[in-house]
Amino acid sequence: MKKTILSVALVMATGLLFAQKKTTTSATVAFDATTAIDALPKAQNKTVIASLDTKSGTLAFEAAIKSFTFSNPKIQEHFNGKGWMDSDQFATATFKGSIANLKDVKFNKDGEYAVTVNGDLTIHGVTKPAEAKGTITVAGKSIKTTSDFSIKLEDYNVNGGAIAAGKVSKEPKISVVAEF
Amino acid sequence: MLKQPGKRYKKWIIALFVLLVAGGAAIWYLFSLKYDDTATVKADFTVQAVDFIKEFKQDMNVANKKYSEKIIVVNGTVSAIEMADTTVNIKMVDTTNGAYIIFAFQQQHLNEAKTMREGEAVSIKGSCSNGAFSSILEAEYITFKRCAVNK
Repeated sequence: MKKTILSVALVMATGLLFAQKKTTTSATVAFDATTAIDALPKAQNKTVIASLDTKSGTLAFEAAIKSFTFSNPKIQEHFNGKGWMDSDQFATATFKGSIANLKDVKFNKDGEYAVTVNGDLTIHGVTKPAEAKGTITVAGKSIKTTSDFSIKLEDYNVNGGAIAAGKVSKEPKISVVAEF
Repeated sequence: MLKQPGKRYKKWIIALFVLLVAGGAAIWYLFSLKYDDTATVKADFTVQAVDFIKEFKQDMNVANKKYSEKIIVVNGTVSAIEMADTTVNIKMVDTTNGAYIIFAFQQQHLNEAKTMREGEAVSIKGSCSNGAFSSILEAEYITFKRCAVNK
């Protein structure tokens, strides 16, 4: 009887440990929209909020647009201005989705797992379905998610004159890293 | 008689050259602009962390208009130090409601963040990005970038 109670308690404790929704407020999103004629349009946001539910496989990100940091103040001003990200009006970019191949990921076993994530990406007030390949690395209690993908700026109604002039890439590369 | 048109062309060529040099200098200036070291920048406001969070909770729009992109010194207690890859962020949390301020440090000041300890009273200067409500955390948050320890 004692053994049964102990076993049930252990299973419940393990379940609680690995089923909970994990969050971080220090995920990183970087984008690189540089071109052959302009090396400046790239930035990083180190205070992105992210969550991962290891049971359901749902993933979510929230990035404050004004938290993207450029090296050049003028580029940062343009990025946040009207005609670009309009960050006073559209303050955050968000992603809500889930891991398509959740059954391939063993959150209780150290290893590197290739995943595909599907969901809705909202930038500049426009929501579009998005799919990205990524990696989940489990090491002890740490779970690290990484993904590299690109987006088409015109899909999100971002059409600054610098894009037509070839100074900003039409399809910037995005890198996402979140450690839970 | 033939010298007159030559002189006129010479003037135009000099004017064009001056314009090109001025234009080139302006472009070079804009492209080579860098942010100053925040430690050396004069602060627009000095606030206490708890009062600052309260102000954002009371009216997010008004607080954002007042503080967004301003250099602010925040005095408060370190609630958490979040390290990830090359990042070290410092958090000050209002434990009564989960609202928080998070500070991302300027590259040259990362080591200052690494030496901070939870529970330590600190003074941090940085550029306030903005405040928002997180639907993930169901709490208000305020983000800072390009931070340094205020000395």
